[in-house]
Amino acid sequence: MTRSFPKAQVVVYPGSNCDRDALWALKYVGFDAEFIGIHDHIDADLVILPGGFSYGDYLRVGAVAAREPIASEIKDFVNRGGLVIGICNGFQILIEMRLLSGALLQNSTGKFICKVVELEVSDITTPFTNYFIKGERILLPIAHGFGRYVKTDELKTNVVFRYTEDVNGSDEFIAGVSNNDKNVIGLMPHPERSIERLICSDDGLRVFLSAFNYIKLKKTQEDQKANAKVGV
Amino acid sequence: MPKYQFVIDIQYKSNVRDPRGEMIKRVLNDEYRIPASNLRLGKSIHLEIDAESMEEALKLVDKACEKLLVNTVTETYEVRKI
Repeated sequence: MTRSFPKAQVVVYPGSNCDRDALWALKYVGFDAEFIGIHDHIDADLVILPGGFSYGDYLRVGAVAAREPIASEIKDFVNRGGLVIGICNGFQILIEMRLLSGALLQNSTGKFICKVVELEVSDITTPFTNYFIKGERILLPIAHGFGRYVKTDELKTNVVFRYTEDVNGSDEFIAGVSNNDKNVIGLMPHPERSIERLICSDDGLRVFLSAFNYIKLKKTQEDQKANAKVGV
Repeated sequence: MPKYQFVIDIQYKSNVRDPRGEMIKRVLNDEYRIPASNLRLGKSIHLEIDAESMEEALKLVDKACEKLLVNTVTETYEVRKI
């Protein structure tokens, strides 16, 4: 951790989409950001698994992507306390990797849903939501066929975002969850698609701002600690 | 090395809702007046395994299911020889 500037990497799988939007959003809030492939190494403070249809999602959504060489890199990164955001297909990949609990199944309507939805921010203590107010209602776009979140482990489910109405049949209207340590978050809505008020909304911007802010504060604290030690 | 052929039948667990199955059941019931119920749409995977014995082949099929083919959180599977 000698880097002074927050750095982010976006993992691009065959079939990913919105990876460029994610890179744009990261650079927009100040991250030093780059793309990485499935055989690359993680060297960042934040890793984003973008949306899309990795490997065509033929077997199960996210199933193949979750077993690529980069998956073990991501697991190590998470164990070291690194921040990971999975958006849409990225959320499905994190679930297949068992880094998040639950399951994502076909929407109860049986249809692909593409629209802007209202969400409630349920947890503002994660590194990705500290720019929000608890219970705040925000607008983000969704675009998925398999976004029905099913709870499988009551204890491990930490809900971060909820739809304000039934959108796809998810348990308790769950739209996004984090792990217990709160350094991994997965959500079906696309924050990277809503960083300009001109298109949709700019509520998604604050997810990236939150992460940037969190990493910056952590770095400052680490620097202060290091300096204090040198001073002694 | 001999080849062994298998069919793996993958189904959602009974407590997991299956919207595709529900839709197919509805069409059978309403359009064709066929009194179908408990309709579940799963997957079946046919494959051949090179192994020294049937026992070893079955072990490998199980490994394939646990590692990749089946999400044991939401799905169950059954292996049949052919």
